[in-house]
Amino acid sequence: MPPAVEGRGVQLAGIETVVVAFDVVSPYGWGVESCWEGLFSGNTAIRRFDRFSTESLRTDKAALVSGLDPNADETLVMQMVRPLIERSISAIPTDALLLLATTNGEIDVLERSVLHGTPNANGSCPDHLASKIQDLCGLHEPGLVVSAACASSSAAVAQGAAMIRGGDRDCVLVVASDNVSEFVAAGFSSLMALDKDVARPFDKSRRGLSLGEAAAFVLLMSDERASREGRPALAEIAGWGLASDANHITGPSRDGSGLALALRKALQMADMPAQEVGSISAHGTGTEYNDSMEMKAFKSVFREKSLPTYSVKGGIGHTMGTAGLVDIIVAIETLREKAVPPTVNLRDVDDEAVGWASPEPRACDGAVTVSTNSGFGGINCAVALRARQ
Amino acid sequence: MINVVTGIGWITQREYGCVRRKLRKSYSEMKSLRTDLQGELLFSYPVKGFGRFDRVSQMTCCVTALAFHDAGMSYAQDRKQDIGIVGTNSDGCLQANLDYFNDFVANGRSLGRAKLFVYTLPSIPMSEAAIYFQCQGPLLYMTFPIRPVASLLRQADRMILQGESTAMLAVSASEEDAQCFMMRRADDVSGEQVFRIEKVIEIAERGSPVGEMIAALANL
Repeated sequence: MPPAVEGRGVQLAGIETVVVAFDVVSPYGWGVESCWEGLFSGNTAIRRFDRFSTESLRTDKAALVSGLDPNADETLVMQMVRPLIERSISAIPTDALLLLATTNGEIDVLERSVLHGTPNANGSCPDHLASKIQDLCGLHEPGLVVSAACASSSAAVAQGAAMIRGGDRDCVLVVASDNVSEFVAAGFSSLMALDKDVARPFDKSRRGLSLGEAAAFVLLMSDERASREGRPALAEIAGWGLASDANHITGPSRDGSGLALALRKALQMADMPAQEVGSISAHGTGTEYNDSMEMKAFKSVFREKSLPTYSVKGGIGHTMGTAGLVDIIVAIETLREKAVPPTVNLRDVDDEAVGWASPEPRACDGAVTVSTNSGFGGINCAVALRARQ
Repeated sequence: MINVVTGIGWITQREYGCVRRKLRKSYSEMKSLRTDLQGELLFSYPVKGFGRFDRVSQMTCCVTALAFHDAGMSYAQDRKQDIGIVGTNSDGCLQANLDYFNDFVANGRSLGRAKLFVYTLPSIPMSEAAIYFQCQGPLLYMTFPIRPVASLLRQADRMILQGESTAMLAVSASEEDAQCFMMRRADDVSGEQVFRIEKVIEIAERGSPVGEMIAALANL
């Protein structure tokens, strides 16, 4: 039973939360295996695209999921989520609580409303998407939306685990999705946050992020229910921490103190000393400030030695609200495969990241990993994952 | 361990106030509301960029100032506090999304405006409040389909109980009205008049409009 958080006098039901199922569709294709193999290939899925005009944007490259039709009646997000859920529907209990993580939801509904005068721009509100997913999964009760900028889905996993740990629920389904849209591309372009070519996390020549899209789900259960139902525990959500920079609305705190606080909270909750962590799944957007901030945070928390650190965003771009869930799924795979992927597009490691990030895959034997995400408004989230035998 | 509500701020379309301190005043528009709060030192220092905030961010910052005041808590721009913020409303950031994208289209789809784009995330109003009040705890937006304010309070309660923060602000803010509850661990509060969390949730469960809910809370 996890101990109460020291010094806080917290009363927890002490129920362990495990991951029993997950899946993803990414720019590398359908399924976790496609994503894993894509990352290990070292090839990027960021390429020129023509979903909308990029003439006035900083870049004409993004990482798109193949086969999506922007002119279909069904929104781009649902074109990803529906097949993803359908292929795993038998694994999803109807009494699961849905947590939907997204930054913009079905933003194409709003785009069409403005561009073509179609009614009901409010159909783009995320609770509508949550309702669709509830129906798709046959869930008994309506779901909740969790939105924490680019940390949305890791924050959703954290809150799902909190509900289970506290004894409120024994099964939570976290679903996340965001798509590459003109809405978002124009916005990030205006912020000068996009690399003209491809994102290069932790690279000396990095100049910004690349947009990406994905959909993913993770099914969380109490350890007890997972055992009772004979479901394999793929990993344990051992701890989490959320903290705000309280600094700037778009730029991260330069010293990384907010992310470091989130990491310490996660490790404290997991009753886990920093030395036990074997690797780090970084947010690693490829912007100058984010990657620098993260390295400062990592070095302040993990002082004894450098840790194998990687970002997936050179491979699949920044998938916005889905980023945290994709990171967590890949992180669980690193525990199972005992290896961490290369940071795709990384060529010349920034001085701050030497000994941490690498353009090569690496063996990694640890039983514990952490996944971090940060977002606009100074939100930081860290999730500690423990391998299960 | 139990938690308590130590301060409640509220804003309707024409009035604002605090529950514990029995403050109730009228205002005519957002500009006058901000001026009032500055004049009464509920904003201890200027809110940088307030005029460019979207409406929900403005409401969130104002109602949070009222909650701090009602709770008798101070804040300073050079002192971060372990206070988290969880927020909710019914439509995310729909109006901010429309404002940004309509502007983008009106300008020939050539360039988005960064100062409008930044508000196209439902969590930004809470982030603006976190920056101003220097709250470094957890921060997120959630929707609750059933009895949203009561559910919001339960969420904040759970976050403190599980050690995610030692205090939480629970904010429900739309363009028309807002309410903010300062929640803390009972052990951290001594000798102060507080509201028991279960009583506040009981009233919130009724699902009444803001004005009626505030009247009921004032009678606690």
